[in-house]
Parts: sequence; structure tokens; C-alpha cells
Amino acid sequence: MSLNYIVAMLLITLGLYCLLLKRNLIKMVIGLGVITDGIHLFLISMGYREGGIAAIVPGGMLQDNVAAGFASAAVDPIPQALVLTSIVINICIVALALSLTIWVYRHYGTLDPSEIRRLRE
Amino acid sequence: MIEIPPIVAIVLPLFGAFLTPIIAIVSRRFDVERKVCGWFMVAIMIAMLLVVVSMGARVWGGEIIIYKLGGWDPPWGINLAIDGLAFQMALMIAGLGTLVAIYSLAYMKRDSRFDLYCTLILLITAGMMGIVLTGDLFNFYVFLEITCISSYALVAFRRNSDAVEAGIKYMIIGSLGTSILLLSITMLYGSIGSLNIADLGQKLAMAKAGAEPVPMILVVALALFVTGIMIKVAMVPFHAWLADALTAAPTAISALLAGPVAVIGIYWVARIPYLPFGMPVGVILVALGIISMVVGVLMALVQTDFKRMLAYHVISQKGYMVLGIGLGTTLGLQGGLFHLLNHSTYKCMLFMCAGAVLHRTGSQKFDELGGLSKNMPITSSVFLIGALAISGIPPLNGFASKYTIYLAGVDAGQPIITAIAVLVSALTLASFLKAFSSVFLGQRPERFKDVKEAPMQMLFPMCVMAAICIVIGLLPALGFNIAGPAQTAAMNPGNYISQVLGGT
Amino acid sequence: MVGLIWDPIIVTAVMLLGAGIAYLILITARRIAAPKPSASKLATYGCGEEVKPDETHADSKQFYSPIHRVLKPFYRYIQPAHTGILSHYLLWVVIGFIVILVAVALVLR
Repeated sequence: MSLNYIVAMLLITLGLYCLLLKRNLIKMVIGLGVITDGIHLFLISMGYREGGIAAIVPGGMLQDNVAAGFASAAVDPIPQALVLTSIVINICIVALALSLTIWVYRHYGTLDPSEIRRLRE
Repeated sequence: MIEIPPIVAIVLPLFGAFLTPIIAIVSRRFDVERKVCGWFMVAIMIAMLLVVVSMGARVWGGEIIIYKLGGWDPPWGINLAIDGLAFQMALMIAGLGTLVAIYSLAYMKRDSRFDLYCTLILLITAGMMGIVLTGDLFNFYVFLEITCISSYALVAFRRNSDAVEAGIKYMIIGSLGTSILLLSITMLYGSIGSLNIADLGQKLAMAKAGAEPVPMILVVALALFVTGIMIKVAMVPFHAWLADALTAAPTAISALLAGPVAVIGIYWVARIPYLPFGMPVGVILVALGIISMVVGVLMALVQTDFKRMLAYHVISQKGYMVLGIGLGTTLGLQGGLFHLLNHSTYKCMLFMCAGAVLHRTGSQKFDELGGLSKNMPITSSVFLIGALAISGIPPLNGFASKYTIYLAGVDAGQPIITAIAVLVSALTLASFLKAFSSVFLGQRPERFKDVKEAPMQMLFPMCVMAAICIVIGLLPALGFNIAGPAQTAAMNPGNYISQVLGGT
Repeated sequence: MVGLIWDPIIVTAVMLLGAGIAYLILITARRIAAPKPSASKLATYGCGEEVKPDETHADSKQFYSPIHRVLKPFYRYIQPAHTGILSHYLLWVVIGFIVILVAVALVLR
């Protein structure tokens, strides 16, 4: 599944391009979101196994004790848990960044980072 | 002494943070909101400090306190592991956090929404405790995000134009840093298969001993990790956010960012060469340290703003610590960790003096201040102690730790490092002479005739820290008692791994 | 364990003793010949011009002009490079990462 990794790296590069070269704070925040999306895609595809089943143990399996083969057939659940946590963290970051951007617009009247430079040197 | 599990040190400020808005709503009914919220915050910080201190005897005896969350054994579960290094950091965070909390009771008197401020301070403290006490890499990332997001909100707390500009710059650079860290943790998990720090250390040592050249993915993961940590530690060239953030934040938050939050970055810088990576990146750390030292102090010499100058000195002094850690010898690591202990104390103190001056006079630029030593005698003498300490003048504590770093430079066979370090110390002294003479000596402007001394709640933490500076300066053995076990714990990854994985 | 060739308490005591002796000399000298400077001696010297008390503050940018002159190459390039524009700071981060990547690859291989 190397297509996943290529697309993930492409997303990270695109996000970095947005972050570095765009002259608008909102577009920079979008770039930040795209970078984290790329990282999440990278993380999820790291846990994938060819032809694997979902890592959910049905109730009957525990009693019959057939869980031995399950571990080698299921996809890795840890990256999925990590990505869920990271998505929530990312929401907080984007929300705070957007609210700070609104305050910057109220004070400066512009969203261009080359105009927002009262603190320099 | 009752056995208090170390999880209490993290849970106490976290639940305190969630309870604070409820307490605020209830006490607003009786119109005592500010007092109740403030003293609740201070009480929780003191309780956390007592919990941390109670772990001291066991950790300094050589035992690593391990607490398994949920009863799951490592490496399948998350565990907290407190060795000497983590204990030094936890002690500093708890102690300095308590003093900053007491300071902010008086400093934030004119701000509304004090209950939100208390919530954020408790959250950032919980995050910092989580970072230094945890033994799991992704847990570290989660607590790092809690700390960073709370600090972004705190920097922009007063919502004036400087604060929101500094806040958005800090936020975007900091979020890029933590995303880089997440990518590094991802690559480590993908190539090694474990997230527990002790387990990772073991498997990385085996991977390194097996295949000779190190696989490319580990090289990229390590480079990403170093970059992410260096953004947090504000080394040159990743330092651009620190000057703006410390200038525009409320000064209590500047003291918090310069003291305890710096501890976290240096904690992980001390872990990089030994555990979990064990890779010989000392040369890179030395290079970054020297560049940061020189650039920081040279930028600080031409500043006109009080807090901005102090912020550039933070960058310069952190360069000393990274230099000491990067040298790799016993002396270097001890010097770096001891310097962290001293620097957090006197830098918090210096920021508190700047905050006291700002609170009373309303100005933080050198050109507008002057001659305040007659009005604020205690503040000016505390500032003098801090200025002498940061320049490494005996008999204060800065001298003991800087002397150790000078000796480490000569000991490692590179006397040029010692020469540069001494030169930077001299330039630091020069810049603080300018600060002291501009703010406290000289002619006093007419409008500052009736400026009073800072209130008692601000003076108390400053005097406590000044006393600590003098005491550690006169008896540096006290500081080495704290930094010594930290250094032996950092240089001994085998002990850490065997106790976490093999023990009960 | 560090090899400090001095004991802080002894040196502090010696410093305080020296400061005490200096202070004794100072107050003895003042008692013998008390200083009585005239008003023109106490006023700030302004090369013959009238200087108001508010103007006697040292300009914080010019305070270290000798150091500024000696280290001119640094102050010509690196100080203006702190432009205050966020996009430039992010460019530094990316360039710094590439430098660290090359350095780590060289160290580890």
C-alpha cells in the first residue's frame, strides 16, 4: 500500500507549501490542518495489514478462546487510537488558531502576515 | 509517610482545572469570586508540591518509582516512571509554579475573567507534570499539546494588539513543532513497533547493534524529533517566537514560560542522547548551543524593551544548557542540569521584577523608565541579585553552574567552547548593567514620583527566589545534590529499562 | 566531584570583609573632610548648554554603540533578519530542519 504513504507525504508537502508561501493567516491555518491530515493518513496506513480484518473482538470469540489467530489477522488498533486522540487535539488547535485570527483581524484590519509586524527585531 | 501514587501529581491540577469554573460560578453569587478562585489555585499547587516532595526520598535512594495506569504492565500499558532526572524537573515545575501562582494573585488584579486564568494555569501545570512524569511517548505528545495549547491561550490573555500578534505567531510555529514531533513518533512506531520509552530504548539499542548503517527511517525520525524539541526549547534558528511571546504575555505568564516550561524542553534534550534514542547527536547539540548563546546575547544587547531583552537572555542561557548536555561528559551533563535549576530560579525572579515595575509604572521600555530604586528598593535589590546571578558572578548560584560548564568545556578537550562561554557571560553582564542603570538608577521622570513598592504578594515569591539564589550560591553542594542524581539517572538507561520492564 | 578550588562561604566572607573595610574607609574620610559640592558641580554637564533633567536619560539604543560598531557584520545581517513576518520565521524552521537532517545523517552513517 505504498500509494497511501505517497499521498500522505504529498499532503504534508502541500500543507507546508500553504504554510510557507500564502499571504493570508486563514490559509496558513488551513495549511496546518492539511499537514496534520497527512500525518494522520501516514499513521493509519502504518497499521494496515493486507487482507486484515477489523480489530474488534466479537463477544463469542473470548469464550471459545480462538483469539490466537485473531492477533495475526487483524489490523493494528494502536494507530487508530492514536489518530483519534490526535484528531481531537487538532480540533482544539484549529479552533484556537481561528479565534486568535479573528482577534488579529479586529486589531490590525488585515490578515496579511507581512503587515502584522509591530513586534520585530 | 503514606504512599501517594505519582498519578496524584498529575490528576490534582487537572481536576482542579475542571472544578475552577464551577467554583467561580458559585462564588460569583456571593461576590468573592476573585479571592476564592485565586486561593483555590494556590492551594492545589501547594498540594501538588507536597506530593512531589514526598517522592524525593525514594527516588534519591536509587529506586525508580513506577506507576502503571490501569494495572496494565509495560510495554502494553502506559506507565509513569520517575527517576532522578524526572524528579528534578517535577520539583522545579511544582516549586516555581507555586511561586508564580502566588505572584499572579496580585499581578492580575486589574484583569477580568480571573477564573479563566486560574483554569489555564492549572491546566498548563497538569500538562507539564504529565510530560516529565510519563514513560510513554504518545502520552508525552498528548500532555505536550495540553501544555502548548494552554500557553497559546495564556500568551494572548489580555487580547491587546501585541498579545494577539505574539499569540498567533507562537501558535503557528508551536503547532508546526508539535506536528513535526507527531510525525517523528509515527515513524518510530512504524519502524520499531513500540511506544513505551523503556521498550523503545531497548529495541533501538538492539536495532543499532544489529544493522550497520542505521536505517534511513530512523535517521529521519531522529532529525524530526530533534527539530520538534528544538522548536520548543527555542534554539536558533527556531527561536523567533520566544521574544514576541515573552514580551506580549502578562508578566506572570512570561515568568511561567521562561521558568517551568523551559524545563520540559531541556528534560527531553537530556533524554535524546541516552534514552530512548542513544544516538551520538552530541555534536549537533553543541553547535546549536553555541550558536544560540552568541545570537541570543548579541540580540539582547540592542533591545529597548525590558521583557524582550530578558527573553533573548532566556535563549542565550538555554544555549548554555544544551551545550552542557551535548558535551556528553559527566561534568557537562551535571553543569547543564544544574544550570537549568539555577536559570529557572533567577529568570522567574527577573521576570517578576519586570512585572512589578510594569504593574506600578505602566511602562516596560528602558527609555521611559529611570531612577526607580528609591521608590522600589526591594525590587531593585532583587533585580540586582538576579542580574549578578545570570552573569555568573560569585557568590551567587549562576557562578557555580557556569563554572561547571566552563570546566566541562576544558575537560572535553575544547577550550574554545569555554572561551566563547566566558565571553557570552561578560556580554550578559554588560546588557544587565544597561538594564539596571536604565530602569533603577539615574534620573527619575516626574510622572513616577509617587510610584509605590510592589504589593506583598508579588514581593514574597521574589524574595523566596532571591534567598534560594543566595543559598545555592553559598552552598553549591545543595544544587549538586539535586543535579547529581539527575545526571546519574540520565546517563544510565540500562537501569531505567530494567526497572521499568523487568520490575513489578 | 567538581574540583572547585575555592569554598564559597570563605570567599563570600572575604568579599564582605573587603566591602566592610572599604565602607569604613569611606565614612572615616567623610567625617574628616565632608563633601560639599556646589550646585553647578552636581548639575549634568551638557557641553555648556542647558540640559533639562528629563533629557539626561541614556538612550538605550546607543548605549552599546562601541559593541555595535565592532560586531557590525552581525548587526547588518542577522538583526534585520528578525523581520517580524511569520512566513520568514517558518522558512527558518524548514531550513533548520533540513540542516539538522543532513547533520544527523552524517553523524549516524
